[in-house]
Amino acid sequence: MEALASLGAGFVSILTVKSILLMIAGVAIGIVFGSIPGLSASMAVALMLPLTFSMDASTGMNTLVAVYIGGISGGLISAILLNMPGTASSIATTFDGYPMAKNGEAMKALGLGIVFSALGSIFSFIILTFCAPLLADICLKFGPVENFGICFFALTMVAILSSGNMIRGLLAGLFGLMFTTIGMAPIDGTPRFTFGLSTLNAGFDTLPTLIGIFAISDILITAEEMVGGKAETIPVKKVKGFGFSMKEFVYHLPNWFRSSLIGTGIGILPGIGGSTSGMLAYMTAKNMSKHPEEFGKGCPDGIVATESANNATIGGAMIPLLVLGIPGDGVTAMMLGGFLIHGLSAGPLLFVKNSDVVYGIFAACILCTFIMLIVEWTCIKGFVQVLKVPKHILLPCILVLCCVGAYATNNRIFDVQSVLIFGVIGYLYHKFGLPTTPFVLCFLIGEMVETYLRRGIMQYDSFANFFTHPIFDAFFFIAIAVLVWSVYKEYKAYYGKKDANV
Amino acid sequence: MFFKKYGDIVVSIFFMVISAIVIIMAMQLPKSQVMDIGPDFMPIVISSISFILAAVLLIQSLRRFKRNAAELEGKTLPQYDYKRVILSIILVLIYVCIMQPVGFIVSTLAYLILQMLVLAPEDKRSKKDIILLVVISIIFTLAVYFLFRYGFKILMPTGILAL
Repeated sequence: MEALASLGAGFVSILTVKSILLMIAGVAIGIVFGSIPGLSASMAVALMLPLTFSMDASTGMNTLVAVYIGGISGGLISAILLNMPGTASSIATTFDGYPMAKNGEAMKALGLGIVFSALGSIFSFIILTFCAPLLADICLKFGPVENFGICFFALTMVAILSSGNMIRGLLAGLFGLMFTTIGMAPIDGTPRFTFGLSTLNAGFDTLPTLIGIFAISDILITAEEMVGGKAETIPVKKVKGFGFSMKEFVYHLPNWFRSSLIGTGIGILPGIGGSTSGMLAYMTAKNMSKHPEEFGKGCPDGIVATESANNATIGGAMIPLLVLGIPGDGVTAMMLGGFLIHGLSAGPLLFVKNSDVVYGIFAACILCTFIMLIVEWTCIKGFVQVLKVPKHILLPCILVLCCVGAYATNNRIFDVQSVLIFGVIGYLYHKFGLPTTPFVLCFLIGEMVETYLRRGIMQYDSFANFFTHPIFDAFFFIAIAVLVWSVYKEYKAYYGKKDANV
Repeated sequence: MFFKKYGDIVVSIFFMVISAIVIIMAMQLPKSQVMDIGPDFMPIVISSISFILAAVLLIQSLRRFKRNAAELEGKTLPQYDYKRVILSIILVLIYVCIMQPVGFIVSTLAYLILQMLVLAPEDKRSKKDIILLVVISIIFTLAVYFLFRYGFKILMPTGILAL
C-alpha cells in the first residue's frame, strides 16, 4: 500500500496547470510524430529533450513520457487510414486496420485502436508501479543466450504468418535477413557485402526500409491501378462514441489481457521493442482465435492485440530504465540522458533517493494515457478526413514527408536513396505475390539474432552450452515445435490439395 | 499474365542465384580468429536455407506449370498501367538523387507537381486541376521546409536556393 500512497503523492505533485499543459502539448507532438510515416517517436523525444533542460526534473521527465506515449499510440492512425505504419510498433495494426477502413469501418477501427492502446498502457503502468523492482530481477536473468532464444522464436513466427504458402513466405523473409547482413558485422566489425562503398558500412536503417516497403510501394501500386482513370474513395460509416458496443468491449478483454502481458514482458527485455511485441501479440491472438481465417481481412481482434501490446511495451521498457538504468531502445536511451542532465541517476538508488520523481513519473504515465485517449478521440473525426483527400495528391505529399524523415534520422542522403530500393522491392513483392510482412519482420529482428548468437557463443564457448539455460530451452524448443508443426500442416495441405485435384 | 504464369519460376530462380552469390561472397570473408562462428556464418546459413527452399519451389512450380497454364488460359486478368509505374519510379529516382545537389525546396516542388500529374486520373487533368496541384505543392513544400527548419531545427539540404 506504500506504493499506492506514493502514487497518490505523485498525482498531487503533477497536478499543476503548467505541467498538465506541458503534458498535453507533449502528447499532441508525440501523436503528430507518431502518425506521420517517416517521423518516429524517438525523433520526437530527441527534439523535445533539449527543451526539458530548463524545466525542473519532474516536469521535464513527465513531458518526455508524454511525448513517448503519444508517439507510440499515434502510429495506429496512419496504419489504419493509409496502410502505412506511422512507427515500427504499429506494423501489425495495418494487417487488419486498413481492411477495416476499406470496408467503411475506419471510425470503429480507430476507436478500438485508441481505447485499447490506452488500456494497454494502463495495464503496463499498473505493473510498473507495483512490481517494478520485482520484475527488474527477471530482466537481469536475460543474457544474450535468452535474448537469442526470444529472437529465434520471433523469427519462426514468419513460418506461421505465411501458412498456406510457406515456402514463398520464408523466402520473402530470408531476403530480408540477407539485407541485415549488409554492412559491418556485429562484434568484430568486418565489412560485409559493401562492395567497397563506405556508405554501406552502417547497413540499411530501419526507418527507410519501412518507409520504402510501405509508402513507396503503395504509390507504385496506386499508379498501376489507375487504368481507366477512376479515382476510388473509401466510404466512412458514421458511428457513435468509440464505434463499438459494451458487448464487443467485454469480448475483447481476454485478448487485451493476453496481449498487454506479452507487450509488458517483451518491453522489460532490453533491446527487443514494440514492433516485435506487436507482431507476437498479433500472431498469438490469431492462433488462439476461434476464427483465425478472418485475420488479415479486417478482424477487430488483430487491432486490439497489436495496439494493446505495443503500448504495454512502454511500461515494460520503463522498468529496466528506472530500476537498473538500462535503456531498452532509442527512446528510453534518450530518457536516460534526460535523467542525467537533471542530476538523477537511474538505477536501484533512484527509488530510495528520488522516490518523489519516480512516482511522479508513474502518475504522469497514467495521466498522459488519459490525455492521449481524450486528444485522439476528439480528433478522430478530423483523422478520417484524410480518406477524403484524393490519392494522387495525398501519396506524393506522404512520400516527401517520408524522405524528410529518412534524412532527418541520420542526416544522410543515402538513407533517402535506399528508400527507393526498398520501394521497388516492395512493389516487386506485390507483383510476384510475395508477402512483405516476413521481409519487414526479418529485417527488424535479423541483426539482433546474429548479435545475440555471436555474443552468446563468445560468452559460453559453444552453441551446445546454450542448452544449459532453461529460459532459452523453453523458447527454442517451443519455436522448433511450432516450426515442425507448421511444416507438417503445410505438407499435408499441399498433398491433400493435389489428391483432390487428380 | 506474365506474373501469374511465370511468377514462381522467376522468384525461385532469382532466389537461387542471389543465394549462390551470397554464399560465394561470404566464403571469401575473413574467418574469425577467436571463435567458431565468424562474420561469414550468418550469411552462409541464411543463403543456404533460401537456396534449398528456392530449389523446392522451383521443382513444385515446374510440376504444376502445365496445369496452372491451362487454368489461366481464357481467364481475363485485370489490366495494369505500367507506364505510370515506370514514370513514378523514374521520378522518385531523380528526386532522391538531386535532393542533395539541387536542394530540398526546388527538387521537392518539381517532384510533387510531376508525381501528382502522373498519378492523377484522366478526368482530373484539366487546367483548373493542374493549378490546384501546383498551389498545393508550393504550400506543402514551403510548409514542410520551414516547419523542419525552424520548428524542429532540422535543416534539409539547401542546394541552390538558400532560404
